[in-house]
Amino acid sequence: MHDAGHSPQGHSGSHGHAADSHTDDHGIAKYVYVFIALCVLTGASFFTYSELWPYHHVPMVGRCFMMAVSCTKAMLVILFFMHLKYEADWKYVLTIPASIMSLLLIMALVPDVGMRVRRYSSERREHAAEPPKLYDKVQKELKAELSPAAEGHH
Amino acid sequence: MAIAAEIDHGHASHLKLQYQPGLPLPNGKLFMWLFLSTEIMFFAALIGVYIVMRFGAINWPSTHDVHLSEPVGAFNTFVLICSSVSIVLALECAKSNKASLAKIWILITLALGSVFLGVKMYEYNAKFSHGIYPATQLSRRIYERADLDYGSAARLRLNAVISPLAKLPPEDLTGDAEKDLKADQLALGLQLRKEFSGTNLVTLQRLADEIMPPASFARHAHGHAEVIGADHRWLQLPLHFPQGVDKVVYLRELLDSCKLPFVIPGGNMWASTYFLLTGFHAVHVIIGLIVFVLMLFMTLDVSRSVMIENVGLYWHFVDLVWIFLFPLLYLF
Repeated sequence: MHDAGHSPQGHSGSHGHAADSHTDDHGIAKYVYVFIALCVLTGASFFTYSELWPYHHVPMVGRCFMMAVSCTKAMLVILFFMHLKYEADWKYVLTIPASIMSLLLIMALVPDVGMRVRRYSSERREHAAEPPKLYDKVQKELKAELSPAAEGHH
Repeated sequence: MAIAAEIDHGHASHLKLQYQPGLPLPNGKLFMWLFLSTEIMFFAALIGVYIVMRFGAINWPSTHDVHLSEPVGAFNTFVLICSSVSIVLALECAKSNKASLAKIWILITLALGSVFLGVKMYEYNAKFSHGIYPATQLSRRIYERADLDYGSAARLRLNAVISPLAKLPPEDLTGDAEKDLKADQLALGLQLRKEFSGTNLVTLQRLADEIMPPASFARHAHGHAEVIGADHRWLQLPLHFPQGVDKVVYLRELLDSCKLPFVIPGGNMWASTYFLLTGFHAVHVIIGLIVFVLMLFMTLDVSRSVMIENVGLYWHFVDLVWIFLFPLLYLF
């Protein structure tokens, strides 16, 4: 069978020229812009760790923000670095089934998330690492012992 | 394969066959995308299970409890992003038939990938040196709670530390710094074994907090929450405190050298998921680096552009996985 490897542009369908000519249209500058965007987005994720992040008391806000940032970064990498934005329609044949399968895989875990998060059977609680109330009391006492010294220290 | 046949005025012997691929892309690229599809499902399953474990756990350690550094993780993310740019520039150079420049970009990608792996090794070493690793029941040091099982493990470990030292003649326990250290280990070990001999859960919890202070104690000194103050009972022991070294720091080093079991609620599950996810990712990085090394021996001109593109797709996927692993493991 003939390998089309050395002449991909010859079989690119309606967007045949697109895969190879996009760099001519946009140049290297496009990669620099994407790189800067990725760095800024990584900084945005890291910002949730800093003292300036205003939602430390609601962790779920930070987590949703970080996931949104990660999805944006992933889209940038897929579209520009992996050139999917410029590929012909075959990209849908390969990516849509894989996406559906991944989605089903994640959905298969939904019952586990629903049944495990914040719902503990007595058996799980018994074998879990949760410190009993007694331990909490000891740790509070120890913290109280340390706190005046800590204030003095600072 | 689709076959287009042209019949020349009914003469079947003059059939002209023309190749037409199923999908309009090179075979190698088709293979790579199919492979990446399976990889997406592989990591989607791993990350999905991590999320179930992480948010289903009653207790999960904070990043500081397990000696994980967020800035180091962010630095590694930056390194991988840079390597993604360098591989894409290598592809552009190859397409323009600039073989030597393409090779330089591949070399840069190789260097950046190696930096990522080096930082990962540094991180793993930080865990191992603190006794955090995926372990069997017999070799584990992480305990989920300060219960009788933990107390028993601590006593066993202390016996293993004390027994050989106690058999040494006295002259072997005084003199130079190494001998002083042995003497101090023996003195502290004997004191700890005495304190661990009880079965009082409150005492065991206190001892566990002193051996491995939780990050929530907030006050940190030299990387450790400072549960042990300047007037701590263990500092009253007849130890050979070296000159110029803080007594608390010396005591902390002495405790570390005893390799005692410690308590991190949720620590075992954390270690299993962390090493599994980052380990599989690191294996992918290593495979990528091996391919980059092999590419250095090739002429990376336009005829190799499809191969470079395929390797680039793989490397971008490695970057993609890390884009999700970084916030999940370091910042959640």
